[in-house]
Amino acid sequence: MTFTTQLEIGLKLFNANLKQAWRDKTNWMTAGMFAITALLLYSFAFNLTGGLVRNLLPGVIWTVFLFSGIFATAQSFQQDRQNGILDALKISPIHPMTIYIAKTLTNILMLLLIEFALLLGATILFSEPLFIPQLLLIVTIGTIGYTALSTLLSAINLDRNNGGLLLPVLALPLLVPLLIASVEATSASLQEEANTAPWILLLSLFTIWSAAIATLMFPLAD
Amino acid sequence: MILNNIYELRWKVLPPAAGVAMIGMAALALITAPTEVVEGDVQRLLYVHLPSALASYFAFSVTAVCSVLFLLKRDFKWDSAAQGAAIVGLIFTLLTLMTGSLWGKPIWGVYWQWDPRITTTLILFLIFSAYLIARKSTSLDSDKSARFCSIYAIIGFLDIPLIHMSVRWWRTLHPQPIIAKLNPALPDEMLLVTLVSVLAVILVAAWFITLGIETELLSQRLLKLKAIGKANISEKS
Repeated sequence: MTFTTQLEIGLKLFNANLKQAWRDKTNWMTAGMFAITALLLYSFAFNLTGGLVRNLLPGVIWTVFLFSGIFATAQSFQQDRQNGILDALKISPIHPMTIYIAKTLTNILMLLLIEFALLLGATILFSEPLFIPQLLLIVTIGTIGYTALSTLLSAINLDRNNGGLLLPVLALPLLVPLLIASVEATSASLQEEANTAPWILLLSLFTIWSAAIATLMFPLAD
Repeated sequence: MILNNIYELRWKVLPPAAGVAMIGMAALALITAPTEVVEGDVQRLLYVHLPSALASYFAFSVTAVCSVLFLLKRDFKWDSAAQGAAIVGLIFTLLTLMTGSLWGKPIWGVYWQWDPRITTTLILFLIFSAYLIARKSTSLDSDKSARFCSIYAIIGFLDIPLIHMSVRWWRTLHPQPIIAKLNPALPDEMLLVTLVSVLAVILVAAWFITLGIETELLSQRLLKLKAIGKANISEKS
């Protein structure tokens, strides 16, 4: 199969994945509700009011994003497997990388929708300018980074009874560089004179690394 | 072929060599090595701490290399080797963290500092603990599980430089605590003891890795024999 054909099939798969995600909203609705509830719990636990907000908010936002994102992606291939779609795709001439990229792009899009909605909500709740272009860029890069890795781990974790529980244990230690870079970049973007460039650079480096390694490793997991 | 011949010598060479080196290390570290002027006897922990850290890196490197070999050759002996080395790596990582904390309390005043090296070591411990939990949660002869865990071990190993870099930047850009630091230029006597300690602990680690590999291989053989036994019983009945 040529690259163009793989690209066309990839787009079709992406489209099908989006339709499936739209039809079966339970997973994404649960992830969204989890994110909102966790944000509220953090605001009660840390008393996120007044001057403390700006210091604590980056850490709070990113832990909420990571936990809800990993829980949501844990089920990425579950339905495909139950319906026999995954087996059908495996025996088809479609390259495993195409299957992986289509699934990851779907996860990224769905998670970005949840995260942007959460940022909008947090802007209103904490009276902090969180819906700014620089922060949206940081969130987008960070989401691509952690979704690339967690989608791969969800695929390789598929055959386990305790897969849902094991995924955060497997994924979170690997995501430490992303968490540090994302929190620091977010923190810098909320301050007027701070320099976000080194952290965005580290974040981009991690994102490229995780996307490349996950794409290369997926065919071996098949 | 040469590697196989070397591996065949494991029982004859490794235990006596590790034993002699460990006795030498103990004698040098406890008797010959001079007492450090500022830190006192607690500095002698360095002779266990540094070699343990190097031994853990050595063991995890073996895990990563064996995982690559498993993915390439699909031979379960490489999966067993990866698991055996990971267990040894975890033991030495724990020893590194414990001796580091015991040294840190009298020198820094606290058991734990968010220093890049210490933090990276802790994350290394978490990654390979997760690897072993994942591997042990499914059947040893499961090809899929072995493949998945090999991929995870490789990703985890490749992630280490990024983790170290990120933690270092994180600490560098934050205010640094004022802490006592070891002078990196060690006197000759201490350097000699350190080198002997590194050799001794690496030999012990190599011996433990061999034992770990043999244990995992025996577990797999036992599993196969059980499967054959079950098949024979069901055929007779």
